[in-house]
This record gives sequence, structure tokens and C-alpha cells, in this order.
Amino acid sequence: MADYKLTELMTIRCAREIADGEVVFVGVGLPIMVAAYAFATHAPNMIMMTEGGAIRATAPPALAITVDDPAAFLGADAAFGMLATMAALQRGEVDVAFIGGAQIDKYGNINSTGAGDWSKKESFTYFAGSGGANDMATSGKRVLAIMPQDKKKFVEKCEYVTTPGFLGGPGEREKLGMIGGGPNCVVSTMGVYLFDDKTKEMYLSEYYPGQSIEKIKANCAWDLKVSPKVKETTIPTAKELTILRALDPTGFYLG
Amino acid sequence: MADIDKRMTLKDAVAKFIHDGDVVYYGGFQIHVPMALTHEIIRQKKRNLTTIESSTDVGGLDIMVGAGCVSEIHTAWIMNWYVKAPYAIRRAFNEGKLKRYDISNFGATSAMMAGFLGIPFIPIRGNIGTDMLKYNPMDLKVIEDPFGTGKITVVRAWRADVAIIHAQKADRLGNVVSYGTRGVTDEFGAMGTKRGVIVTTEEIVEPEAVRSDPDRTIVPYYKTLAVVHCPYGAHPSACRGYYGLDIRFSQYQGRYERYADLLPAFLDEWVYGCKDQAAYIEKYKSKFGQEGLDRLKPKLGFKPKMDVDYGYHDPTCWKGVPMYTDDRLKAYEDAIAAKKGGK
Repeated sequence: MADYKLTELMTIRCAREIADGEVVFVGVGLPIMVAAYAFATHAPNMIMMTEGGAIRATAPPALAITVDDPAAFLGADAAFGMLATMAALQRGEVDVAFIGGAQIDKYGNINSTGAGDWSKKESFTYFAGSGGANDMATSGKRVLAIMPQDKKKFVEKCEYVTTPGFLGGPGEREKLGMIGGGPNCVVSTMGVYLFDDKTKEMYLSEYYPGQSIEKIKANCAWDLKVSPKVKETTIPTAKELTILRALDPTGFYLG
Repeated sequence: MADIDKRMTLKDAVAKFIHDGDVVYYGGFQIHVPMALTHEIIRQKKRNLTTIESSTDVGGLDIMVGAGCVSEIHTAWIMNWYVKAPYAIRRAFNEGKLKRYDISNFGATSAMMAGFLGIPFIPIRGNIGTDMLKYNPMDLKVIEDPFGTGKITVVRAWRADVAIIHAQKADRLGNVVSYGTRGVTDEFGAMGTKRGVIVTTEEIVEPEAVRSDPDRTIVPYYKTLAVVHCPYGAHPSACRGYYGLDIRFSQYQGRYERYADLLPAFLDEWVYGCKDQAAYIEKYKSKFGQEGLDRLKPKLGFKPKMDVDYGYHDPTCWKGVPMYTDDRLKAYEDAIAAKKGGK
């Protein structure tokens, strides 16, 4: 059995959600590694768009550490700006969008604005804000969220909805005219989640080696449903790890 | 052609063109953050500024809020990524000293696009269904599409009084040259301004050089108020082709941002204690060594491999050239002329 880090498992698991030839919208952080790894393995014909405005047929040749890092634009096919790549979301061209956040609820709504009640200004703890996550989740055909998991982060209801999942349940996105399909998959630090076609509620689909369903349920604030077909996530092979590590030799992202 | 030299010192540019109460477009994102201008605004104790931008990193806006210069921000994303929080902004909001209006990146970019276009608002797809819509009615509304497609979010146009930006090159007239990322949103934020643009630049180039490659101009001279020659003017953010992001300094600054008691000491040493950006860089070298600056040197040698010639065609070559024709065309035209003549 290969020895791997959690970040490596998450990156490789996320990459499996990308099909060859798809348009993939990436922000910075792990998604950059996911995209680079997908290019290097099963999705060489992927089209990569970045929030900073690069459109690429190839992985960035060097590590990009910000959305508008020169490395993300080095050897790009087009170096536009934020308006141009995010417009592709609105045109419905983006197949998969990767987002993150600080809190997620059972309908896949995400909070990246702050903790507490916004109208009680004295006690609201501001985070950075939406960035492009809201736009990606509104209009991307499929949305993949990468989330740290504990009971304060997997909540019954987000304290502030920055980014729409299925909002209050089935049909709500459609009522508001959202063109994207909504959240499709959540890759957390403990397992992988999908959404029920009918109820739109998030359920556990895979748990990572070393985790248990009980432990995962204890780190989720709502009564988490579990797929009858729940399984352990396939661990990365030695070959997969070799390819991934070569993309981040100093462990900048992977640790 | 009026050859108006707009070069001036950082101090004069801010004193002359930024007034208390102004709406300021805050340039850059994670690179090209106008840090030297940020420091000068703090030094001159400007007050009650409102800022607009889409996203901004390395804590530039955080220290400007922490220093008491800003009373209102409109933003999609603000923090110092290298400490993972917007500490001074968080405190100012809690203390009721700062109004904050949240919107998504595309919402903010579109707001500036609407300003750029000179229209009052623009429809966008995002923000609907969220708490941003609920808590930011100043920038966001939902209307029925008058053409019948259903509900749509609209965002108010953002037009700043003045824009502060950093770019690789500019000429003395105020033509601003930025390349590699098209400045993310700088061209829209700058062009939408009511009064104009203050630019700090790594290099002053001749107008003839800019005019030999005008595709790279993001702000034309007539929109520019002041050009400040200011090497390292975006530090600790990056400037493409000149220096990379100073992660260690961003973290260092961020640790000061974190504590209300500590931030004034940072401002005393690095802002009030330095008369300009050159003094700030000297301080940097004395504290963290020349090797700190050397570490920021980018890998170069990525010049375009495609030979571009902006050639043009001289239409005077048509002088004296008879009309092209053939028998078919001539017969048809003659028949029509005969018909007209017969009536």
C-alpha cells in the first residue's frame, strides 16, 4: 500500500471528477494541483480557465501561487482578464467549477463571508468574501466543493449564504433562473459526498481509509444520510503519487 | 499635440488628486497591488475614503482601513492570503467604523464594466438567492427581465472619483502599459473614473515606445492625472517581469495586521517612518537584507516568439488606378443606365 498524504488523496480524488475534454474553471489552491494532475493523466484535452483570466490547453509550466500569478499565464493560450473567463461561466461553457469555503450545509450552500449574524456587526467575524465562488456555483454545469470538515464547518444551515447550493431544497435554483446544475460533489478532509437527485440533500458516498461512518457523522451537524453503497475511497497508486509529486516537488500545496 | 508631462512625486500625486471622501478604485488583485500609493494615502492621513475593487490581497486595503483612511468598502474578496484573514477590516466592521458591501467577483467586475460603459446598471447571473443580495441592496437588486426571460440580478455601476493602480510601464504623458494579466480589472476601474488615474510604475518609457505597441496600453494618457516613477511600488505583491510575490513579508505584515495593538508599530516603522517608496525599500534592505530583495527576482527570458509587425497599407496607391470591370458587369450596368435614360 502506497504511503500518501491527505492532500494527495484529495487532489487525486477530485481529479477523477474531471472528464477528458471538459472545460474546467479553477481558483487557486488545491484546484491548481487537481487541474495539473488531470492534464498529466486522464484528461490531456481538458480546457483550463482561471479566475485571473488565463485560458490554457496545458498545465501551467510552473507553480502558480495566486489566481493572477504570472506562472498561471505563462504559456497560456489566451491571457484575458477576470471578466472574460468569468463570462464563460455565464455563457454556460464551464463543465466543472472548483470552489471552497468555510461552512457548507446539507443543501450544499456555502459560506465564505463570515461567522455569526451579519446584522449584529459587533460580533460578526469577517472572512475574505465570495471571490468568484458565487459566480462559479451559480453558472457552472457541475460544482465541486473542497472543504475542511468538522461540526462547525458542516452545518445544518450556513450562518451566511455566500454561494448557492440547492438553497432551501428542490426547485429553488430553477425558480431563480440559475443556469448551472448546482453542487455535484463535495470532497472533504474526511470523505466524499454526492447529492440526492430528489431531495437535493448531501449524502456520504465515500469515506477515506482510516475514517469511519460514525466518526464522519460526529463531524457533521445535521443527521447525515449515508449511501447504501457507501465505500472506502480508492487509495492512490504509487504511479499516481509519483506523477502528482513531480508537479509539486517542494510540497508547496501538497505539504 | 500637447506634450503635458504628468510625472510627479508620490507625495504630490496623492496630495493633489486624492481628497477626503473620495471614491477610489483600488487596483491590482494578488499582483500589481498599489502599495506605495496605499502607504502615501496613510501618511497623508486621508479620511472617509470609499473603495471599490473586485478582489484584493496582501493586506494593502487592510492596513489602509487599519490606519483609519477608509470608511466604506465594496468588495468581493479581501484578505491577506498569507495570514488567511482581513484582520483590520474585521475589527473596523465590529467597531462600526467601516461599512462593508459584499458582492461576487463577477458582480464587482461587472459593476466596473457598467462604469466603463457609462450605463447605470448591468444584469448578471450571480448573487441571486444569497445573503449578499439581502445585505447589499446598495449594489444588488433582482428585477424581471423586460424581455421576458424571468428574474435577473442587476448590479449598480461603480464609478470611482479616482483610480490608484500600479503598472510595469508608463510614459510621461500618462499612457499606462500593463501586460501578462491585463491587470485583471484595472482597465475597467481606471476608465470608469470621473476624474482620472494615478499610476505608479516600475519604468518610465518614451511615448514613441508605447505608440510602437499600443495593444498593451490599458489606460490612455488623457485619463491619467499623475505618473509616479516608483520601483517596487507593488511590494509585497508581485509585478510581472520585475519581481515576485514576497510571501515572507506579506506574512510578516499580516502578523502585525492581526493585533490592534501591534498594527500602529508596523505603520510607524514602515509607513510613517519612510518618506517614500525608496526609503521603504532601503528599510527593507537594512532589516531583511539585500538577499530578501534578490529572492524576488523573476525568471526572465519569456519574450514573445511570434514576430508581430503592426504594418499598415497606404490607400494613396489607388490614385489613378482605373475601375476594375468585365464584360458581364459592364453590359448589366449599361442596360440599367439605358432603361433609366429611356424614361
